Amino acid sequence: MDPAAVAAERTLVERCRSGDAGALQELVDQYKNLVFGLIARTVQDRAKAEDLAQEVFLRMHRGLPYFRGEARLSTWIYRIVANVCLQDHASPARTVSLDQWNEDTARPPIAPAAADRQFADFELRDRLEKAIARLPANYRLLVAAHYFEGVRYEDLAEALELPLGTVKVQLHRAKQQLRRLLETELK
Amino acid sequence: MYCDEALDAVEAVAAGELAIEGRLAEHYAGCRDCAAALAQARRLEQLLHQRPVPHAPAQFTARTMARVRRARWRSEQVFDLGFNVAIAIVILALLVGAWALLNRTGLTSVSNDAVNLLAAATVAFAQRVAPALPLYLGATALVVTALGIWWWAERDVGI
Repeated sequence: MDPAAVAAERTLVERCRSGDAGALQELVDQYKNLVFGLIARTVQDRAKAEDLAQEVFLRMHRGLPYFRGEARLSTWIYRIVANVCLQDHASPARTVSLDQWNEDTARPPIAPAAADRQFADFELRDRLEKAIARLPANYRLLVAAHYFEGVRYEDLAEALELPLGTVKVQLHRAKQQLRRLLETELK
Repeated sequence: MYCDEALDAVEAVAAGELAIEGRLAEHYAGCRDCAAALAQARRLEQLLHQRPVPHAPAQFTARTMARVRRARWRSEQVFDLGFNVAIAIVILALLVGAWALLNRTGLTSVSNDAVNLLAAATVAFAQRVAPALPLYLGATALVVTALGIWWWAERDVGI
């Protein structure tokens, strides 16, 4: 991140801390797509994603007086997003065992030769989303964040307060589970 | 190299974090199952990169700001309530203290006449007010209903 952007970020945070409502609005505008995108990819329900994204900004608003600026603002935001997503007990996406998933999904595999290629891709993406929804909450969040433009392993490790190696291992495990869940479709 | 080791490395290889070299390359070249797993992992990696990025709804900022304002207003209400309760407690403590002081100094016997006078005035006032009591009760019910509607309208509906 270039020094000018860091300075602009600090100025914005200071304005928010001094109670400038316009600054808070700027902050929401600046980070809404990041926050909403991350959450919508994790919970996969737009209405709920919006509610949780608003909750993130509410917590930011409450926490700004205590934000010392030691970490980057985006890292702090990832941490709040992670807390909000993981604390969301009412998540409709339940975690099921792989055996149960296999029993539940006794559907015929996609036959690209028979179906239109575009439709097959669409269905594959749909199954990917459903498979992601069946991952444990922390894996869902990692998969959502890692493939978000500009989010690095280091940012995730710092935000989740986990060692870098643990983040990598968890992400690999999440992908292993996805690969097993989509074994037929990926052939 | 065993298949277990090659399969463990599949995700890292597909993500481009691990180069296929030496024994690993030989294994993938010679083992159909591991090569298939690698192909699947690469396809999955591609799909994950292609996942659409959802954008926040158009009115998101306005709705978030409204929620922030509502939360701030609510916390101010709680603070005000706490402040009022604290003031009431202080006033009560002062009254009890004054009463205790009067009792200790024997001044209460002097003030008994004043208390009797006040009680008589209160009884007379109650007798005058009694016929209009239904009116006052009706007005109170109206105020309570209005406050109830206001509370219902302002409660958190979880946008």
